[in-house]
Amino acid sequence: MMELLRMEAHEIAAAVRAGKLSAREVLEATLEHIASVDGIPGSIGDDPEAEPDKIHAFITLTAERARAQADAVDAKIVAGEDPGPLAGVPFTVKDIFVVEGTPSTAGSRILANYIGPYTATPVERMEAAGGVMLGKVNLDEFTFGSSSESSAFKPTPRNPWDTSRVPGGSSGGSAAAVAAGEGWLSLGTDTAGSIRQPAAFCGVVGLKPTYGRVSRYGLIAFGSSLDTPGPIARSVRDAALMLHVIAGRDPHDATSAAAPVPEYLAALEKDVRGLRVGLSPDYFRIVRAEGGELVEEPLPAEIKQAVLDTAERLANMGVEIVEDVPMPHNRYGIPAYFVIARVEAASNLHRYDGVKYGYRTPDRVADMREMYRKSRGQGFGLQPKLRILMGMYVSAAQYSERYYQRALQVRTLIRRDFEAVFDPEGKYRLDALLTPTTPTAAFPMGAVYGDSVLMQYADQLTVAANHAGVPGISVPVTTDADGLPLGVQLLGRDFDEATLLRLARAVEEGAAFTAKV
Amino acid sequence: MEYEAIIGLETHIQLNTETKIFCNCKADSWGEPPNTNICPVCTGQPGVLPVLNKAVAEKAVLLATAMHAEVRRVSYFDRKNYFYPDLPKGYQITQFDRPIAIGGYLDLPMPEGYTRRVYIIKLHIEEDAGKTKHANGYRLIDFNRCGVPLIEMVTGPDLRSADEAAQYLIRLRQLVRWLGISEGNMEKAHIRCDANVSIRPKGADYLNPKTEIKNVNSIDAVREAIATEIQRQIREVEAGREIHAWTLEWDEDAGVLRKMRSKETEADYRYFREPDLLPLVIDDEWKSQILADFPELPLERRARFMAQYGLPEYDADILTTERALSDYYEAALQAYNGDPKRVSNWVINEVLRLLNERGLSADQLKVTPQYLAMIIRLVDKGTVNTSTGKALVVKVEDTGKPPKQIVEEEGLAQVSDTGALRAICEKIVAANPDEVEKYRGGKTSLIGWFVGQVMRETRGKANPKEVQKILRELLG
Amino acid sequence: MSEEIGRTLFDHLVELAAFELGGDEAEYLRRELNKQLDAIHELEAVPLDADTPITSHGVPYTQEISAPPREDRWQPFPDTEKLMGQAPETEDGYIVVPDIPHEEL
Ligand SMILES: [Mg+2]
Ligand SMILES: [Zn+2]
Repeated sequence: MMELLRMEAHEIAAAVRAGKLSAREVLEATLEHIASVDGIPGSIGDDPEAEPDKIHAFITLTAERARAQADAVDAKIVAGEDPGPLAGVPFTVKDIFVVEGTPSTAGSRILANYIGPYTATPVERMEAAGGVMLGKVNLDEFTFGSSSESSAFKPTPRNPWDTSRVPGGSSGGSAAAVAAGEGWLSLGTDTAGSIRQPAAFCGVVGLKPTYGRVSRYGLIAFGSSLDTPGPIARSVRDAALMLHVIAGRDPHDATSAAAPVPEYLAALEKDVRGLRVGLSPDYFRIVRAEGGELVEEPLPAEIKQAVLDTAERLANMGVEIVEDVPMPHNRYGIPAYFVIARVEAASNLHRYDGVKYGYRTPDRVADMREMYRKSRGQGFGLQPKLRILMGMYVSAAQYSERYYQRALQVRTLIRRDFEAVFDPEGKYRLDALLTPTTPTAAFPMGAVYGDSVLMQYADQLTVAANHAGVPGISVPVTTDADGLPLGVQLLGRDFDEATLLRLARAVEEGAAFTAKV
Repeated sequence: MEYEAIIGLETHIQLNTETKIFCNCKADSWGEPPNTNICPVCTGQPGVLPVLNKAVAEKAVLLATAMHAEVRRVSYFDRKNYFYPDLPKGYQITQFDRPIAIGGYLDLPMPEGYTRRVYIIKLHIEEDAGKTKHANGYRLIDFNRCGVPLIEMVTGPDLRSADEAAQYLIRLRQLVRWLGISEGNMEKAHIRCDANVSIRPKGADYLNPKTEIKNVNSIDAVREAIATEIQRQIREVEAGREIHAWTLEWDEDAGVLRKMRSKETEADYRYFREPDLLPLVIDDEWKSQILADFPELPLERRARFMAQYGLPEYDADILTTERALSDYYEAALQAYNGDPKRVSNWVINEVLRLLNERGLSADQLKVTPQYLAMIIRLVDKGTVNTSTGKALVVKVEDTGKPPKQIVEEEGLAQVSDTGALRAICEKIVAANPDEVEKYRGGKTSLIGWFVGQVMRETRGKANPKEVQKILRELLG
Repeated sequence: MSEEIGRTLFDHLVELAAFELGGDEAEYLRRELNKQLDAIHELEAVPLDADTPITSHGVPYTQEISAPPREDRWQPFPDTEKLMGQAPETEDGYIVVPDIPHEEL
């Protein structure tokens, strides 16, 4: 069985399409593995400390639905039809996506009883490509966090490399599941780093595509101008396979781009010789929030070394490494994000009011207003409340100029940093930037949770790509002294995921990293 | 002291698109059971996104152009955030600081003879909310109306009386129907109106605090509510009291205004750009497509009818109330190729009566403009008399047959044969000696009664002029 | 840490957000808001031209990649029960909510 689990997704799909493996067989092996490693699924009000050596990736395992899908794939094979590029590949979905007929909770009490009335476009595309959905995995409540600990569904996911540590977040359940062999692929979302950071913490590949590349229809919104769905996988090739399935224009999402979708798998075959990759000193300095003070300090040596080693290996493959690339506004990514994402979140969370779906207070209320206050007060956890209140503050008419407008202007400067270094006529002419993904390796459960500023700064090396809209990918390259995975990040040009994947494949090839499963 | 009223109107016009503004549900739910014309998007389910309906932008461009407003090449959508149970997303998607059009005006020719020009401050696109209904101690919510496309149009404080305000709505309703962008049916709330009202001494140039009257949704209501409020403000000021910036609600049945809530507590809507929609770009190419068949507007056509055809203002006004009617008139006039006033009389008297009785619009008539022209010609030539001609209008509408065919089939041609008529006249004179006596005794007005008897005898086909001539001779 | 959001302002925000909060919740939230504001004030160090444009989406939506508006064609949602079935309380097809009190003259 472990042999099957160690295959890559593209190998599974090829074997299923060739009739060498049945989708049902793959599924049953996966379900058996999940039963042995995952432990109890997250639920409202359960013990956060329960089964501390299990992964707890899931909120809802939809085994019967998965069996029906697997059988449908096998039936197509028998009928001589092609089930599609993900034939029989089991995958999980971050529970921030609405899927018809399944609880779609956002990790929140306020949506705990919500059953999806339609299916999110990326999920629909994966299922249409023959993928088999295992179920919905845990996350930070409404994706608000970087450790998955804020979910109302307990116990929250743990890091498969060391279950006393967080898997990162907010796509923590996704990264943990993929790392632990609970499905080959997971559909995550990235608003400030929520795919790349947990991927780095769990030693898997996480790709945040260009904003607009993948439809957001069915993604329960956090920061609508920043949210990006994307793949988490155990290999670059699998990430490319999945991106090809989910990418492209969707008539349900007016911001989904009408840019052509290239053959990503074919792009991986191309040589990286001659590509230009930049290193920026602005990504080797980090800000640490300590007791209300923001302290600038150098990146931890092990992480810096991992990036430099990667650069050296790329250079040996014929990549041109360009040093001292300035990205001066990177450090304002988090402050700007504190404003922009909160304004959008506060508005996006207005709809959870107890009127038409989700949680309504069981208490007696005198009027409508009290019903709102009690339903929202009892339904939301601390992190959504914090984001809503900040959003209310910085977008109030009298403060908007000082905060919101200014943050949007700073966002312009962040974008210009990228435009300057990727400009084909410019001084640097980069194909990609190579940076660390995270300022630390996976931290212990409970070590950061509660300190909202410290937690947010976990995304300081990833958030700029969300402001700028550019694609980014995290690839695991090594482990640190504690045996925890470390990832490096590649950031690329708008809609040029193909080049990014090609470089990521080279990074992966050269790295001395062995997957957990 | 003499006062003048300062009135501005905010109107919401429901567009007659097939679908809602941001989803594929039907725009019109009239008469449908609650919560049946809904989908994930318009009920604000988690994860859904709005996608703009092309026809909404196009209809807004038509109205903006008709209002002489400037259509922006690039406009933006914004979110207006507030809690209300009929607003499923907790925000309304609207346009705030960069709406689709700015500026513009509408001229209101007043019955008194002067023209009031009303300037438009803002014209924007937005989505409607649902409906709430009072029940005993709770509320009932229906989302069918959520996402119905609206154009909100705000006038400057340019109106000076309740009658002018009513006239604005009359002209606006005429215009939106003319352009075909809205049914403009106020009973169905296709046009809704809020009025801002203040008063000042006549001739003053400053503005006093105003009140806002919400939901005055018929032309009579606008006239009455505003007139009532003007009188109330005058009473307050005369009594030395201040006018407060209240929000008022007009109770149409009771004919009274009620205070809603204090303006000072108005919510902070925290407007910001809608990140789920791209800017709306109306480039020259699209704009010229939209405006390719832009019609002559009602006031322009009204003026032209007076200048070109020499019609009186009264006729021109009536003929241009509806675009289809004015098109009908011109087509009939062209087919008739004669006196414009004569055609106008026929349209205003006969055609309009038919339209009203049958609830039709002019383009639905089986009496086409060509048939009407033929009927008038038949009367002119004396083939049928005037009353037969009028009857023909109805008969053609009922059967769809050409007027001449009906005349032939029913033998409606006028009897002008002097011999035949003389015989009938003699018969009538002989049969009514008493009346003949009276006539000869001086009551010559009885001539009409004699003509009537002859007409009855001929089932209306006699040429009345000829009959009168013969009768005078016989009676004289 | 600054006290930019004092108790009165905080209570106003809580009212705007329509939350009923527990005692420790309020304390935690107000502390974290003020801490975040300290980070946000970093933005004031960024030199900005008055005419620096704002960015709403990072990726510029050129005409080539921008989707055209939707055609005006009716496509009913097949199963409105899936929507209405989630309402906490309904009556005759309506959603039931508590009363909204209003003041009359
Ligand atoms: Mg409005
Ligand atoms: Zn709808």
